[in-house]
Amino acid sequence: MDCTNKLQVIVGDATIGVRGERFSYIFSGARIGMESLVRDGKEWLYRTPMPTFWRALTDNDRGCGFALKSGMWLSADCFIKCAGITVSIDDAPVTVPMAPANNVYGGTVLADKAAVTYVYETITQPQTNVTVKYEVISGGDIHVQVHYAGKKGLPELPVFGMRFVMPTCADRYRYEGLSGETYPDRMAGGIAGVYEIEGLPVTPYLVPQDCNVHMQTKWVEVYRSTVLDNSCKEEKETGICVRAEDGKDIAFACIPYTAEELENATHHEELPPARRTVLTVLGAVRGVGGINSWGADVEPPYHISAEEDIDYGFWIGGVKA
Amino acid sequence: MQPDIKWLDDPQTFRVGQLPAHSDHKIYADVKEMEQQKSSLCQSLNGTWQFAYSVNPQSRPADFYRVDYPAKKFGEIQVPCHIEMAGYDRIHYINTMYPWEGKVYRRPAYALGKDRTEKGSFSEAEYNPVGSYRKAFDLEDGLRGKRVCICFEGAEQAIYVWLNGQFVGYAEDSFTPSEFDLTPYIKEKDNLLAVEVYKNSTAVYLEDQDFFRFSGIYRDVTLYAKPKLHIEDMWVKPVLSADNQTGTMALQMKISSETDYPLEKATAEYVMFDGEGIECMKGVLPIKPEMELPPQILTKVIPWSNRNPYLYKLVVTLHDEQGNVLETAPCAVGFRRIEIRDKVIFYNDRRLVINGVNRHEWSAEGGRCITMQDMEWDIECFKRNNINAVRTCHYPDQIAWYDLCDRNGIYVMSETNLESHGSWQKDTIEPSWNVPGSLPEWKEAVVDRARSNFEAFKNHPSILFWSLGNESYVGDDIEAMQQFFKEKDDSRLVHYEGVVHNREYEDTVSEVESRMYATPDDIVEYLENEPKKPFILCEYMHDMGNSLGGMKSYIDLLDRFEMYQGGFIWDYIDQAVYAQDRVTGNKMLCYGGDFDDRSSNYEFSGNGIVFADRTEKPAMQEVKYYYGLHE
Repeated sequence: MDCTNKLQVIVGDATIGVRGERFSYIFSGARIGMESLVRDGKEWLYRTPMPTFWRALTDNDRGCGFALKSGMWLSADCFIKCAGITVSIDDAPVTVPMAPANNVYGGTVLADKAAVTYVYETITQPQTNVTVKYEVISGGDIHVQVHYAGKKGLPELPVFGMRFVMPTCADRYRYEGLSGETYPDRMAGGIAGVYEIEGLPVTPYLVPQDCNVHMQTKWVEVYRSTVLDNSCKEEKETGICVRAEDGKDIAFACIPYTAEELENATHHEELPPARRTVLTVLGAVRGVGGINSWGADVEPPYHISAEEDIDYGFWIGGVKA
Repeated sequence: MQPDIKWLDDPQTFRVGQLPAHSDHKIYADVKEMEQQKSSLCQSLNGTWQFAYSVNPQSRPADFYRVDYPAKKFGEIQVPCHIEMAGYDRIHYINTMYPWEGKVYRRPAYALGKDRTEKGSFSEAEYNPVGSYRKAFDLEDGLRGKRVCICFEGAEQAIYVWLNGQFVGYAEDSFTPSEFDLTPYIKEKDNLLAVEVYKNSTAVYLEDQDFFRFSGIYRDVTLYAKPKLHIEDMWVKPVLSADNQTGTMALQMKISSETDYPLEKATAEYVMFDGEGIECMKGVLPIKPEMELPPQILTKVIPWSNRNPYLYKLVVTLHDEQGNVLETAPCAVGFRRIEIRDKVIFYNDRRLVINGVNRHEWSAEGGRCITMQDMEWDIECFKRNNINAVRTCHYPDQIAWYDLCDRNGIYVMSETNLESHGSWQKDTIEPSWNVPGSLPEWKEAVVDRARSNFEAFKNHPSILFWSLGNESYVGDDIEAMQQFFKEKDDSRLVHYEGVVHNREYEDTVSEVESRMYATPDDIVEYLENEPKKPFILCEYMHDMGNSLGGMKSYIDLLDRFEMYQGGFIWDYIDQAVYAQDRVTGNKMLCYGGDFDDRSSNYEFSGNGIVFADRTEKPAMQEVKYYYGLHE
C-alpha cells in the first residue's frame, strides 16, 4: 500500500475529517473552525480556535484610556461571524456545502495535503476580515496561516492572534525563546534559551491583567496528562508543539484563562478555578508602556495599527520524541 | 509641664520635652559588649502592651496614664504594629487627597489667613482615633542607677508620653526617632509607661504620602541608659582628597554627664580601624561638653563606593579619671566625595549614574512595620539586579537600613518626612492653601523635620543626597530646609523636585534639576536648552501592574547627555496587605477599597518591581539588564 504516508480525508456532510497515523482532525462548518485536534489519542481542543483581538487591560492601558478608544475589540474578541469556508484537497477545490456533492467520493480520499480556510468577519465598525487557513500535510503537521485585513478607521489593537482553548490544564510547557515574561518594549533583559515552565502560572499582578507573553519564540510544546474522555482508564502525558515558520518567531501566552476571565477579576482569588489551557499564538503584541500609569501611552513603535494588514503563520504538530 | 490636647491643632507645637535629634550611633558599656553587639545599656520595650482604641479624642480614656487607673477593660496590642493592622481601626489607602476627603471640610491652620487658626480641627474631630498604650516594666540591671531615656523609633502621628503618671513630652514626625528623658520619674521596678497615639494632628498635612494611612507605634521602642558620661552626638567628617588616595578625618562630639560629674580628668579615646581591622588613627582628648578633633591627615585612604563599599570603623571610648571605661561607641566611616563640576555630578571623580529605585518600607504582613530580614532581602535583591541607589520615599527609614546601605554600597537619597500634595495637587495644580508654602507658622515644623533627618543620619557615607521631601510644592519654608542642610553639610547635595512647579525658587531650592515621570523628549528638551543643573529623575518607569516598557529610551540618554544622571524607578515594592478572603478562606493580597475604605485610590499603590510578598516581578530582568549597562 502506498497510503501509509498519505492523509485520509473524510469529506463529511458537515465537517472535513483528516486522519493519519497518530492524528485525526475535524474542521467544522457549524462550529466555524477546527473542532477537533487529536494526537496520540488525546483531544487538544475544547472549542474551535478563534482570532483574538483583546488582552485584559494592563494598568497602563487603563491609565491612558486605551479601552475608551479601542473597546470595540473586546466585543470583537467575544463574538465573531464566519463569512465563508473553502476547502481543498491536493489543491483541488471541494464543493461547499459538501452534501450532497460529497456523494461522489465513495470513501476516504487519500491525499498529500488538505486545506480548510475560514473567513471571519468582525463585528467592529467598520467591519474587517480575518482569514485563517489550516493546511494539513502528510505526516499530520498543520500549517496555520493567518491574515488580518487592515481597515481604515479601526482603532488600535491591543493584540492579534489565535486562541486555542484546550480541554484541561496542562502539566507544563517548554519553549525556545526568551526568559521570563516579555513584551515588545520590555524584552532586552530576556535571555535566549530553552525554558520549561511547570503548571500554568499566571503572573500575580495585584489586579489580574494581561500577562505571561513570551516574545521571540521558536517553538512551544504543551504537555497534558488529563483528558475529559470518560472512558480513559490511564492518563498519560503527551504533548503538542506549536512552532514558528523557518527563520521567523512567534509570541505566545499559555495560561488557564481567557482575556475576558482575567478582565473580570479584581483579585486573583476571583479567577475561576483553573480548568483549561488557553494557548494564544500571537502575530502582534502591543507594548506595556511605563512612562506613567495615568495617561502616557505605550511608545509609538509598540502600538498595533488596525489599519494595516497583519500576516503571520505557524505550525502545529507533535513534540519531538 | 502639663499636656494640652490643643497641640494637635497647632502647627507650631511639634515637640515638647523631646530630646534634640542626634546621631544614630550605638552605645555600649565596654568594648566587649560592642564586639558582641549586645549592649547592657539598652532595653527593648517591644512586645505585648495594654491597649485601648478610641475613635476620637472625646471618647478616649483621658486619665489612662495614671498609675491607679483601672485598665481592666484594656485589650492588647503588639509593639511594634500599626493599630489598623491589629484590627482596631480601618485600613485605608488613598493617594494625593487627604484621608478625610468627602467626609470633613478642613483647611490647614493659617493657610488662608492669620485668623484662621482652625481650633479644634483635630482635638475635637469626630474621627481622629486615639491609641492608649500602657506598658509596665522593670529596669534591667545595666540601666539601673543611670540616667534613662526612651526612644520611639517610629510612632505615627502624634504622641503624648507619661511615665509613672508624670507627663514627659509630646512629639510629631512619624518617621524619625522621638526621644524623652525619663530620669526624673524612673524607678528600678514597677514602672508604668503610658503613650497616647493620635492618628491625626496638624502633622497630617505634612505626611500625605501616597500610602496606606496608618497610626500607632510601628517601630522599635527602646530604653537606653546614659552612663556617667555619654556621647550625645557624634559627627564624623571624613574627607577624601582630590587624589582619591589620601584624606583627612575630623570629629565633633557632644558629651553629657551626670549632674556635678567632674569632666576635667575624664578622657575620650578614639581609634579608627581600616577595613582589615588595622589601626590607622588614634588619640586621646580631654572631655568637654562640645569637643572637636581637628582634621587629621591620613596618608592612605581607600574610597567608599558602590563597587567597593570600603568602610573604616571609628571607636570612641569614654574613660573616667581612673581609666575605667564608661561608654564606647562605634561609627562606620566612609571616604567619598560628591561634587558638581560643569553641571555634572561627580562621585570620586567618576560621573555619577543613578540606577535607582524608590523604596517604601513595606511588608504585606506588617505594612510599614518591617523586619531586619525584610531589609536584608531587599539589599540582596538590589545587588543581584544591579540597583545601585535608593530614595527613601518619602520619609526616613529605619536606622538599620542606612547601615545596610553603607555596608553594601547603595547610594542613598535620604528624604525628609514631608509630602503635602493634597494641599496643591488637586484636579489641577492649585496651591491656594498649600502647606508649608511660605507660611511662617509652618516653617519650624518642616525645618525640624530636615534637622531630624540630618542629625540622625549625618554619619552615613551612603547618603549622597538630602531630599527636602516629595510633592509639597515650594515656598519660603522649603527654601529654609535647603538652607539648613547647606549650612550644616558641604559633603552632600540637596535634592527637591517640587521647585519645577514654581521656578521663582529655582536658584535657592535643589542643586539638581529633578523631575518625575518626564518623558524622554521632555528630558532632551531641558538638556538642549541651556540647562542650569544636572538632571535626575526622582521617579520614573511607573511599574504599576504589568509595566516597565520602554526603559531603553531613558537609559540611552545616559550616553547622549553627561548631565543626564539617571533616576529612581517608581517603585520597589507593591504596597498591598494580606487579609483573609471571605469566600475561599485563603490569604489574599488586598489594596485600597478592599476594607470599605473610601475615598480610595484602589490598586494605585501596586507599582513595585517586586510583588508585595517579595517575589520579583517579571520586569526585574529588564531592570537588571539596563542597570547593568552603566555603573
